[in-house]
Amino acid sequence: MKTSIISPERVLFEGDVRAVVAPAFDGEVGILPRHAPMVTLLGTGVLRLDAMDGGTRRFNVAGGFLQVADDVIRIVTESATPVA
Amino acid sequence: MAKGRELKGRIKSFENTRKITRTMEMVATSKMKRAQDRVVAARPYAAALREVIASLYDPELATQFPLLRQPTTVRRAAVISLTSNRGLAGAFNANLIREARTLIDRLESEGTAVDLYAVGRKGVGYFRYVGRPMTGTRTDLTDRPTAQDAADLVDAAVKGFAAGTLDAVYVVYARFQSAISTPPTTDRILPVQPPARDGGSAAAGPGRRHDYILVPSAESILESLLPAYVRNAVYRALVETAAGEQGARRTAMKNATDNANDVINGLRRQYNRARQAQITQEIAEIVGGAAALSG
Repeated sequence: MKTSIISPERVLFEGDVRAVVAPAFDGEVGILPRHAPMVTLLGTGVLRLDAMDGGTRRFNVAGGFLQVADDVIRIVTESATPVA
Repeated sequence: MAKGRELKGRIKSFENTRKITRTMEMVATSKMKRAQDRVVAARPYAAALREVIASLYDPELATQFPLLRQPTTVRRAAVISLTSNRGLAGAFNANLIREARTLIDRLESEGTAVDLYAVGRKGVGYFRYVGRPMTGTRTDLTDRPTAQDAADLVDAAVKGFAAGTLDAVYVVYARFQSAISTPPTTDRILPVQPPARDGGSAAAGPGRRHDYILVPSAESILESLLPAYVRNAVYRALVETAAGEQGARRTAMKNATDNANDVINGLRRQYNRARQAQITQEIAEIVGGAAALSG
């Protein structure tokens, strides 16, 4: 799934992933391929991306929304920082 | 050679000035490039936000949202005037201040009370000098404004607007059209002008022709994204002004360097002429002396 993480300042991540686990406003939401089109508000927490090669990447995000359609995911958040 | 020595000194002095202006020109060029990159890097976020708001926006919902309220009479407005912290950028700050003044004068002539928020040492200094009261001042923004800076700057105004104490919020900034064109610009950021649904040029994101599952609901999403949209408008104004400042400084310093070159060329010509005149005179004296002896 093509995924991008977009903060007001820049695009933090762009690439293919197998799964996304995002901190929605009311709890975690997991996105796998062929998810129905959805727009959900995000809360504050850790966003996890499972990369194609089996690795994971984590970002702290706060606010904004996640949009998914046609296996394209856009995470548009007011603040995002990679977790070291 | 009294005159020649004096000219030499002036040439030296202009050369030193030229060294400084040329350095500043190069520094501004590289800073401008980086600032320009930030302007470009901020675009995907603005585009994504605009697209989702446009697809969710429905004129019927407008009445529910305080940020979309369209006041019929504007009793009190906030003006956020952006300027730079440093000078030596030509007419950059003067233009921004003039634009802000024009806006304030127009609003006040229409009977609107104006809360002025001045950002940047130049603007703050000017408004303090003319004795214009300011509701808020900021002089601590760097060359690299952050989204957090924008939020700090505008959140009070957003609250005021939502509560009904403010009826409009304007931001005066330098739009970064190109390195040499950074016209002062006034944008009204509140009430929010909902972005128009465009024909589908937003190739970047997932297509919009879907029936989205909206969690929790279109209204809640819109309610939380509208303030983000306003904050982003201010963020964009901040980064564009930062880039514009460097562009204006580069142009000013380039002109100063070119001017120094012209002056130095003129002085050098004068100096050489004086030197040559003196040599000619000395030869004439020697020849004259020799002629007098042999004659």
